[in-house]
Amino acid sequence: MKIDPETCTGCEACVPYCPVQAIQIKEGVAVIDDDECVECGVCFRSGACSVDSIQEVPLSWPRVIRAVLSNPLIESPDTRIPGRGTEEVKTNDVTGRIKPGFIGLALEMGRPGTGTSFRDVQKVTRALAGMGVEFEPQNPVTFWITDKKTGKIRDDILNEKSLSAIVECSFPLDKLKAVIKQVQAVAQQIDTVFSVTTCVKVAPDGSLPTDKIFKELGITPYPDSKNNVGLGRPLFQFEEVSS
Amino acid sequence: MTHSLHRLGTSENLSHDYPLICMAAHGMNEEGAAGKMGKFLEICRRHGPVNFGDMKQGSIFVHDADDIIRNITNTTLVQCVFDDIKKVEAVLRDLREADLGLSVVVSGLTDAARECCQKVGLEIHTVSQSLGIWGKTSRLPSREVLEITTMCGHGMTSSSLVEKMIEDIKKGKNSPQKAAEKLAKPCECGIFNPSRAAELLAAAAAK
Repeated sequence: MKIDPETCTGCEACVPYCPVQAIQIKEGVAVIDDDECVECGVCFRSGACSVDSIQEVPLSWPRVIRAVLSNPLIESPDTRIPGRGTEEVKTNDVTGRIKPGFIGLALEMGRPGTGTSFRDVQKVTRALAGMGVEFEPQNPVTFWITDKKTGKIRDDILNEKSLSAIVECSFPLDKLKAVIKQVQAVAQQIDTVFSVTTCVKVAPDGSLPTDKIFKELGITPYPDSKNNVGLGRPLFQFEEVSS
Repeated sequence: MTHSLHRLGTSENLSHDYPLICMAAHGMNEEGAAGKMGKFLEICRRHGPVNFGDMKQGSIFVHDADDIIRNITNTTLVQCVFDDIKKVEAVLRDLREADLGLSVVVSGLTDAARECCQKVGLEIHTVSQSLGIWGKTSRLPSREVLEITTMCGHGMTSSSLVEKMIEDIKKGKNSPQKAAEKLAKPCECGIFNPSRAAELLAAAAAK
């Protein structure tokens, strides 16, 4: 994103719209900090600028990943999914992505509202790789992990930033306590925040296999949850996996 | 596991906040999905949502509702928000009967969502839970601001704009309802709940 200094009136109307506070008034005009800007396009689409000074500029690799992960209107070229580029468990009734006996874990780096550098993303992918998790293949961040065993991310994007980057993986439920402890440790080593999501297939009796484990860990999930209500067809047959 | 989850709030104010999502599984049942997602939004619309939208087009706060439904494509996802669990129950009953064959996700208070599904005869298949925000939490804005910004799961509604709206309400420049509508516009997918936002803004401005 750019702001044309010739036409900007310095009215400040665009400033509060930036989710990462990358717009400042300098010498009477609004200026976007290129390093902090995550190319989400909120300032441009807001209509806050009465003189149309805010401009979208063409992005090349590697800066383009900022827009792919920050602007939800953009479809990920790797997964063909808009938003943050992953279906995750919204379609688990059809895909069987998370199976009984396994847990899905999504660490959404930079959410809420702080944004993340890819150096911090790499700290997290390295920590998870060390636990032997399986990174979700249909997730844009996974496409940029060059070594799944070490969690190394390609060098040319390490200086990039985005509003969000979802590190998504799965592993057997019996690893949950160890993985959570690893995630708690790496959380102390980064300069941003992440929102933590777990996902499980509901047991036949309606219970969640994670309830007891969270209690033992002293973790209380939020009172709200996200529930796939099983209306997708064809319904995934989990028996096919175990046979 | 994400954009309708992590809505920070109390059990009281979250009881007015139920997002629904519908989408196809790519490469599995996406053929003809556009029309089915349109039907999903039509069903939702019959029951009085406070917001809805399409991930690739935007929300009803930016675009015409009929245009959104007309221009849905197979590979997008659509979402809708209700401020009353009874309306969600009615929507789920209609969706079950319509048998669209696309995946549907209901977010909101866990107990209320479970009870709602039971009443309609739906079994919850998969559950995502939020374990909260970890890491350098000193960088976060106040909780009252977060309760509003986290209703835009893609982070498009900025904390600075929320803070400005609260100040504008305090100064009498804006009503909570108008301020909430202003905050709903940056949320492209239509999952932001302006009804709950107005309640939260009014409470924050009254402090």
